[in-house]
Amino acid sequence: MLRYTVKRLLQLSVALLGLSLLLFAWFKALPGGPENRLLPENATDQQREALRAALGLDEPVWTQYGEFLSRIVRLDFGSSLSSGRPIATELAERLPATVELSLAAMLIAVGLGIPLGYLAAKRRGSWIDFGTVSGSLLGTCIPIFFLAAMLKVVFAQELGWLPTTFRLTAGADFTEVTGLRVFDGLITGEFGIAWDAVQHLILPALALSSIPLAVIVRITRASVLDVVGEDYVRTADAKGLKPSTVRGRHVMRNAMLPIATIIGLLLGSLFAGAVLTESVFAFGGIGSFVYQATTERDYPALMGFILVIAVFYVVINLLVDLSYGLLDPRVRVRK
Amino acid sequence: MALLEVEDLRVAFGASTAVDGVSFSVDEGKVVGLVGESGCGKSVTSLAIMGLLPKGRGRRTREPVQAAAAEPVDSGLKVAASAPQAVAASGGRGRRGGADVQGRAAFDGTDLLSLSPAAMRRRRGKDLAMVFQDPLSSLNPVVPIGRQITEVLERHRGLKGDKASKEAASLLDRVGIPDPLRRLKEYPHQLSGGMRQRVLIAIAVACAPRLLIADEPTTALDVTIQAQILELLKDLVETEGTALLMITHDLGVVAGICDEVNVLYSGRVVESAPVRELFRKPTHPYTVGLLGSIPRLDLPIHEPLTPIRGSIADVIRWRDGCAFAPRCDKVAAPCVDGEPALVGAVHAHRCVMAEEVA
Repeated sequence: MLRYTVKRLLQLSVALLGLSLLLFAWFKALPGGPENRLLPENATDQQREALRAALGLDEPVWTQYGEFLSRIVRLDFGSSLSSGRPIATELAERLPATVELSLAAMLIAVGLGIPLGYLAAKRRGSWIDFGTVSGSLLGTCIPIFFLAAMLKVVFAQELGWLPTTFRLTAGADFTEVTGLRVFDGLITGEFGIAWDAVQHLILPALALSSIPLAVIVRITRASVLDVVGEDYVRTADAKGLKPSTVRGRHVMRNAMLPIATIIGLLLGSLFAGAVLTESVFAFGGIGSFVYQATTERDYPALMGFILVIAVFYVVINLLVDLSYGLLDPRVRVRK
Repeated sequence: MALLEVEDLRVAFGASTAVDGVSFSVDEGKVVGLVGESGCGKSVTSLAIMGLLPKGRGRRTREPVQAAAAEPVDSGLKVAASAPQAVAASGGRGRRGGADVQGRAAFDGTDLLSLSPAAMRRRRGKDLAMVFQDPLSSLNPVVPIGRQITEVLERHRGLKGDKASKEAASLLDRVGIPDPLRRLKEYPHQLSGGMRQRVLIAIAVACAPRLLIADEPTTALDVTIQAQILELLKDLVETEGTALLMITHDLGVVAGICDEVNVLYSGRVVESAPVRELFRKPTHPYTVGLLGSIPRLDLPIHEPLTPIRGSIADVIRWRDGCAFAPRCDKVAAPCVDGEPALVGAVHAHRCVMAEEVA
């Protein structure tokens, strides 16, 4: 298992290095360099050259790449061109909100998706199956921003059951530890804050969970249908085991393999969906930051964001790979 | 009274009948073979006894079959034309993909087919157990061997923890797996095919069942391993007095292990006899054909084998005549004139032309 882990880690660092190269090349190739954004339109060519020299843009490309790499390793993404603050700080402030939202959405998707998918497979051809499959189709079809807006209008504005915006009620007094409000509230004993944060999370998380939920339902259904027809499930039945044992140990442990992969991939893509959801609920995550950086050609900020997301993807992939090793002994011993 | 008495077992999947009134019995300490080619209903018979077929929606009733049998049988042609309706009537009530099981399978006096699913689960793995055909796919790939054995011990014998592990190791030892303690922690993919079949046998005999059903236990194995596995099963029957129902298409296996044989064709027993009787004087042309298609060492090398023509797919329904008729060399007019009965007691057969065949 250790060998497997080390091997995976090495593969991932190669992937990250490749990504940094790709990113660097991509930004170099983009038209309209940052000096055009920073200087007024009537600036002279000398002024532009001077700024390029100041930013290190006149160095040979490989020197620039070396500098770029060494700064990334030190988590120094430079300063935002629009706000002037260090990008690492900006990201650190906003990431926890997005992480919390994405995890909450995934929790809903997994918690509802796997049981529903299992039920649909077990009652194949019944109205439960039909309802679940059509529901999941609907879930993948509705655009997130529309669903988010509808949830907000119905449950927050009309019914008034839940708050409309932000992560906490305005003026709430809380202790910041990790930036994940629910988690912080629980570990510091501020349960009122945790509950407040949960209430603020429900609607955005529901909206964000629609696509992963739909995907997980369908993958679970297909995977369970695959597994229940296997000979070893019949062997388990022939042993006279309780249905719960057959389900847990023999069906779900095998059915989880493809589901685990999908969960990993979905978690990565949730960050992209979070940008839209956050904007509807003014959730203060990474979404508005990216939006601003894109419209203002804030290259360092964008690069920082992409790198962080890439690292997220890579780490999640590693976790999925490792979970595979845990779930499937055949992967573990493969040389 | 025999330990297992199967009477008039019928299994239908929707409109198609897989088992069509099979009766046989298995005594304690005896090995009874169910023989036939693919699709003859032998595996379905065993799964029906074990209660492992997917359930159809319909209640177990005999009406559809009786109604069908009560129809006047004038000529084969006329009945054949009306047959689909009867089939639709009997098959239509079952859930799609589910099996309608009728008849009786008395185990020590209790009809297994009428037990509730929960009651059946308490018996499966304990009183009656099964060894499956494909050892490669019949073990759970993500659960250690040890756990797959101890879960049976836990369920039916209440053994847990160390006690269960020790018992599992001694079971592995008993089925001839060396270094059993180490094997307990291993996964199925780390074992050879023969080893896996031994593990499946260990699981099946874990609770000392009184009836063991082996569904082609040697089909997926090398010839040398086949002999070892058969020897192991034989040994279990002799030392424990277990009744063994052996399902196979291999007459070599039958000759080597069985006391009595039931030859199945298209869902019915066509010949049933003690094993020596069957090999000495095969009566039904199908049995003759099965024996004729085995390569023999005592015949000249270039002597061609005599296969049975066609396949089991092109059958006629039994009540219109002998289902084997389209493939039979001895076929005559009486063969397709109504349902052939199973005649004889110790050595029974279902062939109206038996005298001519012999």
